[in-house]
Amino acid sequence: VALDLGGIEAAGQWIARAEPRHPALIDAAHRLDELFGIVNVPSGVWIDERGTIVRPPETAYPRRSEVFERPIRPSDPPDVAARIREVHKIRIEPEKYMHALRDWAVNGARSRYALAPDDVIARSAPRGLEAATAAAHFELGQHLFRGGATDAAAIQFRAAHRLQPANWTYKRQAWSLADPGQRPTSLYDGDWLSDVQRVGAENYYPPLQMD
Amino acid sequence: VILDRLHVETAQVERGTGWAIKPEGACRDERCVPLPAAATADGQVDVRVIAQQLGMPLVHDASSGLWALGPEASTRSLSSARAPDLVLPDMLGQLFDLATLRGTKVLLLAWASW
Repeated sequence: VALDLGGIEAAGQWIARAEPRHPALIDAAHRLDELFGIVNVPSGVWIDERGTIVRPPETAYPRRSEVFERPIRPSDPPDVAARIREVHKIRIEPEKYMHALRDWAVNGARSRYALAPDDVIARSAPRGLEAATAAAHFELGQHLFRGGATDAAAIQFRAAHRLQPANWTYKRQAWSLADPGQRPTSLYDGDWLSDVQRVGAENYYPPLQMD
Repeated sequence: VILDRLHVETAQVERGTGWAIKPEGACRDERCVPLPAAATADGQVDVRVIAQQLGMPLVHDASSGLWALGPEASTRSLSSARAPDLVLPDMLGQLFDLATLRGTKVLLLAWASW
């Protein structure tokens, strides 16, 4: 499911190129963010045959993609080089994730990685008043943006960012609307590189809890 | 839930929040939260009361006059392990209902182009 305010226009080309054999859907209103508590991508949720969530959203890289291996080239501008340096520090755990996923696919409820309902709820993202208020601002911002009120939308997006700074989905979606490279703009206090450096690239994704 | 006023049709609140407005209050699954009598009248509901009683933030954009009613503030994003209802379009605009995958294991993977 593509979380993309740009809808089919933004996500469709990627889906077409992937030629998926599975359903490939587009969530232009970021409903998954609110319904499941997704705060970054890629995030995976496991749902069993009865429609019960057995693992809440967690970082779900199926493999180490090329972006993590790309070397810094002499021709790279300084900001690109700085960005790549941070990307190299990001921790992803595709081997661990795929091992667990395959174990669940084979063993179902007997898999040690399938969680009980109480654990699923407990491991889902916190949503106190600030995160819930951020969700309201983000929804309002999206609505305003779709209507062409980009400045008013940015006010709402900034409020969402301030209230839930760990929500990279809110930040990256909004930044990308102002600049596809998510570089500094006058609309937002943050940008991808600065924010990642602030929290530490190694903390960009939380460690998988597969033990 | 986007709103252009604070007194809206009960059905609109029910569709947007998943809470049913009943004589005993706002109800979802087995839980009912009592509402003051003044909260509902003539098939309409005062969203400010709903927001307060259910712990839902209500935010406003003065330039458009619009409001957004957020999700309930609780401890966790998931209040149940039951997968929520979800119907979304594919790249051809065809709607797909997650519930049609009952009977198979599902990996729901969220990604983005940005």
